[in-house]
Amino acid sequence: MFKSISSRRDFIKKMAKLSAITAAVSMFPGILFADEQEAGLPEGNFDWKKGPCRFCGVGCGILVGVDNGKAVAVKGDPNSSVNKGLLCVKGYHQTMCVQSSDRLTHALVKKNGSYVKTPLNEALDIVANKMKETIAQHGKDSVAMYTSGQSTIPEGYVASKLMKGAIGTNNLDCNARLCMASAVAGFLTTFGADEPMGCYEDIDHADYFITWGNNMAEMHPVLFSRMLEQKNKRGAKIIDFATRTSRSSTASNKSILFEPQTDLAVANAICYEIINNGWMNRKFVEDHINFSKGLTKMGYGTEDNYKFKDKPTKINFEDYKNFLEDYTPEKVSKYSKVSVKDIKYLAAIYGDPNKKVVSYWCMGMNQHTRGTWINNLVYNIHLLTGKISQPGNGPFSLTGQPSACGTAREVGTFTHKLPKGVVMNEKHRKLAAKIWKVPYERIPAKPTYHATEMFRAVDRGDIKFIWTQVTNPLVSLPKTSRYRPGMEKDSCFVVVSDVFPTPTSDVADVILPASWHIEKSGIYGNSERRTQHWDKMVEGPGETTPDAWMTIEVAKRMGYGELFPYSEENHVEEIYEEYTQFHEGAKHGMAPLEVLKKESGAIWPYVNGKSTQWRFNSKYDPACDNDKDFHFYGKPDGKAVIWQRPYEPAAESPDSEYPFWLNTGRVIEHWHTGSMTRRIPVLHKAMPNAYVEFHPEDATSLGIRDGENVKVSSRRGHCILPASINKRGLPTKGQVFVPFFDENMLINDVTLDAFCPISKEPDYKKCAVKVEKA
Amino acid sequence: MKRLGIISLFVLLFIAFIAVWNYSYFEGQEEAYIPVEEEQSIAVIPSETGVFKRSDYALDYADMPVDKAHQRTLDTYYNNRAFHGAPPSIPHPIDEMQNIGENSCLKCHENGGFVEKFGAYTPVAPHPELVNCKQCHVEQQKQTLFKTGTYARLRAPEVGNNNALLTSPPVIPHQTQLRENCLSCHAGPSAPVEIRVSHPERINCRQCHVPSTNELIEITAFTRKQ
Amino acid sequence: MPIKSYLAHPEEGKKEELIKAISQIKQCEVIPAENKNVLVVITETEDETQEIILTKKLESIQSLKLLALVSGFNSPKNN
Repeated sequence: MFKSISSRRDFIKKMAKLSAITAAVSMFPGILFADEQEAGLPEGNFDWKKGPCRFCGVGCGILVGVDNGKAVAVKGDPNSSVNKGLLCVKGYHQTMCVQSSDRLTHALVKKNGSYVKTPLNEALDIVANKMKETIAQHGKDSVAMYTSGQSTIPEGYVASKLMKGAIGTNNLDCNARLCMASAVAGFLTTFGADEPMGCYEDIDHADYFITWGNNMAEMHPVLFSRMLEQKNKRGAKIIDFATRTSRSSTASNKSILFEPQTDLAVANAICYEIINNGWMNRKFVEDHINFSKGLTKMGYGTEDNYKFKDKPTKINFEDYKNFLEDYTPEKVSKYSKVSVKDIKYLAAIYGDPNKKVVSYWCMGMNQHTRGTWINNLVYNIHLLTGKISQPGNGPFSLTGQPSACGTAREVGTFTHKLPKGVVMNEKHRKLAAKIWKVPYERIPAKPTYHATEMFRAVDRGDIKFIWTQVTNPLVSLPKTSRYRPGMEKDSCFVVVSDVFPTPTSDVADVILPASWHIEKSGIYGNSERRTQHWDKMVEGPGETTPDAWMTIEVAKRMGYGELFPYSEENHVEEIYEEYTQFHEGAKHGMAPLEVLKKESGAIWPYVNGKSTQWRFNSKYDPACDNDKDFHFYGKPDGKAVIWQRPYEPAAESPDSEYPFWLNTGRVIEHWHTGSMTRRIPVLHKAMPNAYVEFHPEDATSLGIRDGENVKVSSRRGHCILPASINKRGLPTKGQVFVPFFDENMLINDVTLDAFCPISKEPDYKKCAVKVEKA
Repeated sequence: MKRLGIISLFVLLFIAFIAVWNYSYFEGQEEAYIPVEEEQSIAVIPSETGVFKRSDYALDYADMPVDKAHQRTLDTYYNNRAFHGAPPSIPHPIDEMQNIGENSCLKCHENGGFVEKFGAYTPVAPHPELVNCKQCHVEQQKQTLFKTGTYARLRAPEVGNNNALLTSPPVIPHQTQLRENCLSCHAGPSAPVEIRVSHPERINCRQCHVPSTNELIEITAFTRKQ
Repeated sequence: MPIKSYLAHPEEGKKEELIKAISQIKQCEVIPAENKNVLVVITETEDETQEIILTKKLESIQSLKLLALVSGFNSPKNN
């Protein structure tokens, strides 16, 4: 290890700098130097406190250095098996966002068109009274809460308890509907149980990594670095299967590009090849698989009040094989633009019984108008070959947000879910009623609005009160050109809890100041089912309060105090104790809090002091009890399902008027809507604004040069962005890509709110736009 | 008998002919397959691909010894350049005067190594795909000037003050054009001492180190457009 | 090898000029204050003679009103 920075000379220079600054401060009180004041200080004795990272679904362990009540340093936790001491650029700088000057420190209430600073207690009174009033006048279903996959487990739990247990409405949904709903629907339809069956240790064993439409080098960077390490040490291969050449493509062994939406066809073609070449694992399929098909031609959900319920019918293997005749590689290659050679190459990798393959995917497959289907299809490939639930062998659905698993999916902050099970199931409602100590009839049995429908209801005036926490829907929803005017209407009272002012808080009637990550204790759950706990590390400024406590305070003011008997000091621990009762058992048991505090997180199911790393495999999973080598206990007969799903075109494909595909996504420097990362100087300077990526040949034919302002418009709205040609990513010809972190260049004004009819997750990756010079 | 034999031979040939002809007719009915070939005529996102060049050797870099006697410093690095970012001039005499560079330069500068003749480690070229070396890199045949002048100065980025927090990864304080490959300058025995990294095996450098593009345009803090 | 830190006060309205002038000198590091008319200057030179030359150079800058020494160290050349 060569340390190039610290040397005695540098140390002395820093001391000299420090004394000069101190002298200046004593001579001129209130003097300010740029960040120099903090940057030169020698390493003192800090307190290093552990926790999970605030950002993506990898869930790296971090250590925050706290000195004099301020967070001054962040480094990776070497004890965390997730990241082993490595972070990414966002992780290293995360604590700097709270030093931004426009941080929300006090509650703001809109009076006569302007925001007035209000004491928090008064603001919470206003919120509670408005909620009570709205329920009294318009019924329980006129109030709604919209939480987040970045809310902590206690925050999600009290929101669920308030809405479903106390008030008695299912008007609770979260932004994880926009990111993981298709993955969840895929798990439930194929396995009957949510969340991946493998864990990150698969990376250390796999021979091939196949990424389906995701850019792991920028989006799950620490996992990608682990994959690169295996590539160098063991000769593992990374195959990038995507619609655009990205950083990951350049680092992979092979990059295969496909036409948007045709991933459905290619997955089926791979299954065809596997069956026709005799690579199917016959014994596994006979012992553990049922075949089913569902409805097709389901529409795309673009109309209000769209309803859909799938009708599964059982089929047999012969039917499935005949169905696949439409998906020979030669036929699929014609419209998918993937060569027959590449399809056969992928199929051969999956089909080789001696090669361990892990498939990774995230938003490319989930934010898809047939998201549930494509999730099912990739599971089909792994189920046909029996490559599942073994170390280094299996499909792995990566999560986008830090606690979409932990909070949104496990606590169930969706309109149809409860902490255990669904509202439609009587047994599950009875269990919730018992633990929550509420009358069982109060929990409604019918789900109401999913995220997109919820905001449509706000627009129509059916929802008259909405409270958003830890999310920024007016930048992250699709077709914000409709939902922004909808939220601005007087008919809806909007309460926004956030850390920074955002376009969502700009339309709020009450803004509540939330605590940021390390200013409160909390619990997150990452992609590999690892629950991680952290203690409060620093004090928040002004009247900032944890979201969970604000929900509890409002609940108390509405008269539900006895349902929320938690203390302000310890509410996180008390809530977690109550919550774990829902998941008792070998299939989902959560680790006790002492374990979470000592270790760098624990994977559930946590049975008899051990984490279950590979579920459904009798060798590793104590919950398997059918005396066979695999037990898919999510389904009543213990068998997983292979679904027959066809290819259907996208909701809006390019045509003569709007000739380009629009794809949206992220970049490594910025997290989602940028409200935190743009306020971190290093990240903002590295990526100050959004842009639209073109293929160089498209740019030449349109006469557009790099950096020139371009207007991207669709049938719904337009957005003006500078062009970027061959810089961060290279779309194919006829496609443009825009990152969505920039609230000043709202690309979601242009996107379409079509969604997967089964999961209700919108498709942000495909709509038709036209491009012209601005 | 002989006649029967000859007739049956011809009948057999005729049947064979019909069979083969039919077979080839039906084979010919199968649709012709036109393979999908995408020709990439442009360099693909150079600023991203560049990082991963030489990554196959990343593990080797970690094992390379540090040779204190022959290492370069940032001063020696900048001595060769008119201003930071300028192409370095060739500090050693060269044999082949008439070629463009290409293999005669790359045979040492593609992978580096110790050169006895000059007593130094060869710097590794970050852009070996550009083979017309002498277009930008020239020898210094004389050290005196034709006429003096007041040449403007440009401050080179410094080491040690590029990280935001104490333990943060430093930002990239220089432009990366033509220097996309980090390992060629920041790792190995030819790397200047001050910028040699402690972890060359980590390959995906830009996961933690992001550019700080203040050199091109001044980027101020984020403010909301109200 | 002398390392010294100073507080530099510029003439009226000449703060920017002073920053520019001192930044040109290779052995100096300047940290301007955001909201007051004073700069922190840190100098590092090879030996005493160089240090004297540098101080003279600094004092001859037109836009400098007063250069006040805060701290000085003399560290050996090897790290």
